[in-house]
Amino acid sequence: MADRPISVVDTNVLLNLATPVVDGRPAAPTGADPLKALLVTYNVHVPASVVGELSMATGSDDLLSAAAKLVLNASHHLTTHDVDAKIDEPLDYGLDQGESDGIWLANDLEAALFITDEFNSTNYLFVSLALDDRNTLFTTPHVLCKFASQGIIPPEYVDAALSYYGDTKQWDEQYLNRLRHKYLRD
Amino acid sequence: MPEEKTRVDFNAPASIVERADNVAELLDISRTRLLIDALQDELDELINEEGFRAHLRDAYYDERIDFQTVKSVLGQEEAMRMNLLRASIDREPPEPQLKAELPTDEKFYDGEVPVWQSEEAADNEDVESSA
Repeated sequence: MADRPISVVDTNVLLNLATPVVDGRPAAPTGADPLKALLVTYNVHVPASVVGELSMATGSDDLLSAAAKLVLNASHHLTTHDVDAKIDEPLDYGLDQGESDGIWLANDLEAALFITDEFNSTNYLFVSLALDDRNTLFTTPHVLCKFASQGIIPPEYVDAALSYYGDTKQWDEQYLNRLRHKYLRD
Repeated sequence: MPEEKTRVDFNAPASIVERADNVAELLDISRTRLLIDALQDELDELINEEGFRAHLRDAYYDERIDFQTVKSVLGQEEAMRMNLLRASIDREPPEPQLKAELPTDEKFYDGEVPVWQSEEAADNEDVESSA
């Protein structure tokens, strides 16, 4: 399993991948499991603060809480790192602890991917600046499209998932359409 | 230092110009001042309209407009964000590795897969299943 590319993710990515799996409403896409796909096909590493943030998100009866529970049920597939003790100067660009630790970890591990869903705001700029290699920066919809093109998740599911995220999270519809065009339509 | 000015000539319906002149006189400002303010307000309003922003993003991703245009309308930070995001689309994520099929839920998850439904939906399902 050593040849799986090293991937560092932030808390929101894990929650976003788990959300359609646990969402029992008719609008949620069914038939695939993007969280499982990520954790099986990549070697996923997270700072310990991400697990802490996931635990904090549980405890209520809402969708987010169910998503956090699912990620915690799969947490033995994550490699966690105690980042706080090692960091000298915390990255301070207005990013939260999990994101800052994740970027530090991605740099330290020379990860092949750093996945974030902070692409709707100027935080995306800060993440880009803080990563040693900007070319490792990807988003959940981008990775899902890659899974579709590799036959790991059906393209129909990914198409529906992109619409689901667009509707529920107000993600940049034009960006999602570009990804659709590149990976799902060609 | 005051910003450089460009002279603009345009034809407008006489009635609009007359209304503008009346309002400008009432406010004791020049016609030019009124037009600049009106143009500024209109642009500010458009920029904050989601429909317009979507239109602009489409045009930028399709390379119909350039970075400078986005920057002049949405500002430096937003233009830089879109520039980075557009460039990222052309990158390929590293190949995911899958040896066989994805494992079953039982094998993969240490515990159950929770399912969340809004109370409304759960109620509807009860009605359907009892019908």
